[in-house]
Amino acid sequence: MARFHPLSVTDVTKTIRDAVVVTLKPVNGGDFDFIQGQYLTFRQNFDGTEVRRSYSICAGKDDGVLQVGIKKVEGGAFSTWANEALAPGMTIEAMEPMGSFHTPIDPQQAKNYLGFAGGSGITPVLSIMKTVLAREPRSTFTLVYANRGVNTIMFREELEDLKNLHMGRLTVVHVLESDAQDIDLFTGRVDAGKCKALFEHWIDIDSVDTSFICGPEPMMLGIAAALREHGLTDDQIKFELFASAQPGRLKRKASSAANGVAAKSTEATITMDGSARSFTMNKDQSVLDAALENALDAPYACKAGVCSTCKCKLLEGEVEMLANHALEDYEVAQGYVLSCQSYPLTDRVVVDFDQ
Amino acid sequence: MTETMDISDYLAQGGRLTNPANVPSRYRAELMKIMATFVDSELAGAAGFADVINAGPGIKERIAAARIVLEKTDNADKVLKIMGEFGANTDRYVDHHPWTDRLPRDTAPGASRNAHDMRLSVLNYPLAGWTDAVVMNLLMGLAVGVQLSEFLSSSYQPFAEAIREAAPREKRHTELAAEGVERLIRQGKTNAVKQSVAYWWPRVSESFGTGVSPRSDALKAMGLRSKSNAELHDAWTGLASAALEKLGLERPATLA
Repeated sequence: MARFHPLSVTDVTKTIRDAVVVTLKPVNGGDFDFIQGQYLTFRQNFDGTEVRRSYSICAGKDDGVLQVGIKKVEGGAFSTWANEALAPGMTIEAMEPMGSFHTPIDPQQAKNYLGFAGGSGITPVLSIMKTVLAREPRSTFTLVYANRGVNTIMFREELEDLKNLHMGRLTVVHVLESDAQDIDLFTGRVDAGKCKALFEHWIDIDSVDTSFICGPEPMMLGIAAALREHGLTDDQIKFELFASAQPGRLKRKASSAANGVAAKSTEATITMDGSARSFTMNKDQSVLDAALENALDAPYACKAGVCSTCKCKLLEGEVEMLANHALEDYEVAQGYVLSCQSYPLTDRVVVDFDQ
Repeated sequence: MTETMDISDYLAQGGRLTNPANVPSRYRAELMKIMATFVDSELAGAAGFADVINAGPGIKERIAAARIVLEKTDNADKVLKIMGEFGANTDRYVDHHPWTDRLPRDTAPGASRNAHDMRLSVLNYPLAGWTDAVVMNLLMGLAVGVQLSEFLSSSYQPFAEAIREAAPREKRHTELAAEGVERLIRQGKTNAVKQSVAYWWPRVSESFGTGVSPRSDALKAMGLRSKSNAELHDAWTGLASAALEKLGLERPATLA
């Protein structure tokens, strides 16, 4: 199961004005031997609310470090904190590396990779690129890197160094939205039309084996459409949607804050394995998470309202069940709820996991 | 390049999601349901088959059955790992369910899921010996092939990739079943085969679900499904009829 491990921050370096590269070292345990292109999910408390954010690893397999790139997003609690307050010596919590934005490395193979990155979408692509170039001496990599202007290009110098290190095997095409370049082709947005033009004049699309795309949604759609039109199949196109649209964890908070006067906490009593425990829990928290947080070994498996492992009986009070794909109507009528999906509505709830 | 778009527009236009962090909650619930159905069906299928390994009439048959058990369990593992990335407790998930549970053999087709797992309804029925297991594996294998074809282009990329690995193995299991049925017929067990076909046909047929689900359009818009249950069912009817015909058998006459 995914759980969080402490990592110590050993270095924080600014790459551009509003982005940092954070170097991390596991403190005690956790398997952080990543695969190129994977990401880490961090958690951090802001004013009592836990925020989870995922950031791609930008280091290559042979760099000998664990590094993520974090670009500041307007109004983003985590990215602002990482850019302004995070410093060497601090400890931060993350889950083990996850994600499948990669293809198998084989030193014998001679593949032509084509990567597309938009802005901070460069981070996983950089990890893949470094690893492929170092571990597959016969493969080539072409990177199309979209940015607003020259001064927002993350890892610009590092890319130049890589080009020199792997002479002839790495091609980098910078496409800039607002800064004019010598060649018109390299100005503007990377969309289906731009890709088409690049494939006509600059990139031999027929020789491409695998394509990696990481960037904002419209850019990915445009590129994928162009790649498909040029004969690439779904299993040759790897997407990584970067973290622009992250989930609604904070949404609940906003809606409950709007309730104003109503108390934000609930007195909960939970019976399990024959004994009852009482504690105060937040109404923005599921009954299951509250139980787990209070060191109760509550049963659960999917946490999505599907598997019913976390079923319990509500004896007192009211809860709102966000999703229920597992309980039958008669069970709900009898007072059974899925604790992973249940949020308290009343100031007191009593549930029993033993029934 | 900070321009973004609404995630539902992105999905409706064929976009792919790649990790739990950018998955909206409704999508997450539907995806988890699809993945849980797959995992539970594979685990229940493997558990059912494990019991018939020793019923195999020869060493080749037992190897085939054991391989099916191994690979179905491994397929379940691949998708369960993805569920784990969403926070599912994967260890507890596997231990929690009694995967060998079955309903009485004479339960009518289409009975709703038993207990609290998400396996397809057909996997609630018990296998009655080797011939029965091979026939069930053939008819169900063809159904699985049709159903998995839906997920090869799932908008959740890690799931689509897991299915791309699982699908060829499932196809091989179906081929093994077809070879097995052929052998049984050569051995003169045609009547037993026919009885099993009559038993399993309606039960596999029911596993496609009936009628138009109101969620169908929503699932299509999310890129989690592309065809309707009826379209998948028709595809299976065609494939299964052809497979039986090749074996000199007919599909049961009066049934769906």
